[in-house]
Amino acid sequence: MSDHTSDPKRPASVDRRTFLKRVGAGGASAVIASRLPAPGSAAAQDATLRPDPAAKRGGTLRYGVHTAPAHFDVHQSGTVANIGAQSPMYDTLLRRSPKDGQTIIPDLAWKWEISPDGKKYTFHLRKGVKFHDGADFTAEDVKATYERIARPPKGVVIPRTPLFATVGDIVVVDPHKIEFRLTEARPKAFMLGAFSSGWNIIVRKKTLDENQGNLRQVMAYPGTGPFKHVSRKDKEVWIMERNPDYWNKGLPLVDRLEVYHMMPFSAELGSAFLSGKLDYARLLDPVSWRKAKEMQGVTAAAFNQSVIQAVWMNMKKKPLADVRVRRAMHLAMDRHTLVEVVKDTAPMQVGGFVYPFHEMSTPRAELEKKLGYQKDIKPAVQEARRLMKEAGYGQGIKGLDFVVRDANTFKLWAVAIQAMLKEHINIECNLRVVQISQWFDEVGGGNFDLGISAIVSSLMDPSDYFSAWYGKDGPQNYSYWTNPGFHDLANQIERELDDTRRKAMVRKAEDILEQDPPLIPVSYEQIYDAWNNKVHGQNPSTYFGIYDVVRWDQVWLA
Amino acid sequence: MRKYLARRAVYAAVTLLGVSLSVFVILRILPGDPLVAILGVEGHAQMRPADRVRIMADLGLSDPLPVQYVRWLGDIGAGRLGKSFFRGDTVAELIAHRGPISAEIGVLALIVSWLVGLPVGILSAFKPNSLSDGVARALSVLFIAIPGFWLGMLIVLALLFWFGYKAPIVIVHFWQNPWQNLQIVIGPGIVLGLAQGAYIARMARSCLLEVISEDFVRTARAKGLREGLVVLRHALPNALLPVITISGVLLGFVLGGSVAVEQAFGVPGLGRALVIAVIERDIIVVQNLVLLYAVIFVVVNVFVDLSYAWLDPRIRYG
Repeated sequence: MSDHTSDPKRPASVDRRTFLKRVGAGGASAVIASRLPAPGSAAAQDATLRPDPAAKRGGTLRYGVHTAPAHFDVHQSGTVANIGAQSPMYDTLLRRSPKDGQTIIPDLAWKWEISPDGKKYTFHLRKGVKFHDGADFTAEDVKATYERIARPPKGVVIPRTPLFATVGDIVVVDPHKIEFRLTEARPKAFMLGAFSSGWNIIVRKKTLDENQGNLRQVMAYPGTGPFKHVSRKDKEVWIMERNPDYWNKGLPLVDRLEVYHMMPFSAELGSAFLSGKLDYARLLDPVSWRKAKEMQGVTAAAFNQSVIQAVWMNMKKKPLADVRVRRAMHLAMDRHTLVEVVKDTAPMQVGGFVYPFHEMSTPRAELEKKLGYQKDIKPAVQEARRLMKEAGYGQGIKGLDFVVRDANTFKLWAVAIQAMLKEHINIECNLRVVQISQWFDEVGGGNFDLGISAIVSSLMDPSDYFSAWYGKDGPQNYSYWTNPGFHDLANQIERELDDTRRKAMVRKAEDILEQDPPLIPVSYEQIYDAWNNKVHGQNPSTYFGIYDVVRWDQVWLA
Repeated sequence: MRKYLARRAVYAAVTLLGVSLSVFVILRILPGDPLVAILGVEGHAQMRPADRVRIMADLGLSDPLPVQYVRWLGDIGAGRLGKSFFRGDTVAELIAHRGPISAEIGVLALIVSWLVGLPVGILSAFKPNSLSDGVARALSVLFIAIPGFWLGMLIVLALLFWFGYKAPIVIVHFWQNPWQNLQIVIGPGIVLGLAQGAYIARMARSCLLEVISEDFVRTARAKGLREGLVVLRHALPNALLPVITISGVLLGFVLGGSVAVEQAFGVPGLGRALVIAVIERDIIVVQNLVLLYAVIFVVVNVFVDLSYAWLDPRIRYG
């Protein structure tokens, strides 16, 4: 049985590659296990995330991020509006290290084991952890939390539910040990990624019971996290203070956390940071970010976000059901120009059907040699015209209804895409700008030809989003796309435990998607952060998204 | 007078009932699903039909529309004004917290509009077609033409890039810290006030031009009164009625304009809350705020009408 722990004699963290290698070397695990400190021992308890030895304690961190949640239930949310403010009050079973945003390290589980067949995950939980209301944290809380995530009650909708589709029984072995029994093995990186997701905060069983499993209108339900709720002004600021009883001794390092509600990419956020009213700003607009980069005493970083911006094509409509027309539209996009078009509005990057920065996707240099991604678009346009002619649409298509989400980036792109389709393959479309709530009504009801929007995934792992974005009847397969070859392959990818074979399969899947596009990838989002240099302990340059490393316990102020 | 007041109260009540009914119906027939904002894009995509039924019932949206409408009126009567769909905050709390800021901006805009508009109008009227009149008229047209939110953004950017200054980013009430509070409201108040001041200047000019050609003004001059006294004591009071009327109407522009101007200045007032509520389709918040704006508009206009009798002895309400 492979075994992972926070033994301080070994490096405190295990990156995913190393972890997978170690999993393969099953025999070594017994040796490692023999060196582990006893569960609950001081050594084990202290080993998760250590405060920087140079760190100073105290002070108030003023953090600006989108934090006007539509409700308070982090599990039911899919937006930074919740996690941006609430996550410092909670812990997860495992977490991504703030050092790199990738390595999985212990959190409330100080040690975990995976059975050789990959169908049983056992977590050893820390002892002496208390919720903010003084109650003891036990395995019953983990079970209640994950039962709810994996099998939400009626009226509760949790976007991460599909991550735990293979979780069968969740068994409390003792108050500090819990087993997740899977009906079918899944890649360990996928499962551990799911357990480390910042969304899957541990909440009290009692809290869930008292609220019939729905926390949408419960503002400050108790967590075990490094900060405790103090006060909140809707759409203004959420104030938290240091949890003096936090189980991870020495953390958090700041006494007070003020999370200010600032709309993403807004001038308001940019001006608040540039005028020194914030110490740290997340989701800055490109203009403010560039200005911040030039400022003395300020650091600015860009990192990848778990969002694809795309155009969906309604395959229930005749011309768009033709694979040649869809491929032609895909090839007619000048993606580098599309990134340029919004460069002052939101940071973007070129990509295909798989996260372009993921280790399993086609490397960027290789991707940019493919038709549709080259800087010189002439060959792609030639091929697009040939396909249109072959499909019987050599004269073009007129009157497509293009539903555009009312946001600056989508409106800018829609105009550019409209022009590209007209100029390159003589497709004429009429733009119809609608509010987000109407966009989903129209697209969900099939009342569109083309629609531009953005969707997110929880994990970078393709198995998380292949079924949601491209799966037959996938919840975000707005194009109503089906391709039996792809669906079979996606099923195999979900179940393949060998990393190398899995990577080859993902590449094959990419090829299928290129030839039979379920959507037109427009670009992949990036995040712009900037902070005053007095803020230490956080550098998001290698993070993936803004949903995992969001607890601020390791941050300190000089 | 009492009869008149009673009649106006009835008219006002009917108007407000009409507004409430209109906004209630419009918000419910507009396309768009409020559950997108509640559940998010991913959650909405995963929602099962049974989830939708349960959530709509929880929100009170599955009841028949007349029931929903009567319940809302009941909430207004009880002073609760209903709860936000999302976070459970009551609209009354929202108004209590943000309302004072928006009210300050409105009052400040009104004061600025009079302080700027009236002197400019007087100056123009007493030296018609002079250079100062030309400049005043050109500036009036300019401030009428410039959108408030755009001017607001320019001011915010200029203060930021030239002086590294930005007003406080959360609400500070006057009674908590008057200086910080002033920093929040002064920008939007001036921008809104200048636009309204331009209208007032134009109205004051044309009214004064009409009044100063009247016999009683000539008589005042003939008996040797100083020009300042002629203006202030004789001409201006008689020219003010239309200016007061337009001020009541302009209040509507101030209320409407504050939505965009608060957004531009990043002021967390009621206007901004309305914008966010519209985007989120938080219909309980939207319908209550629209009704609140309608109440303010109606009440102010009643007061404007009543002020006529006080300002002009010839007018009597019976």
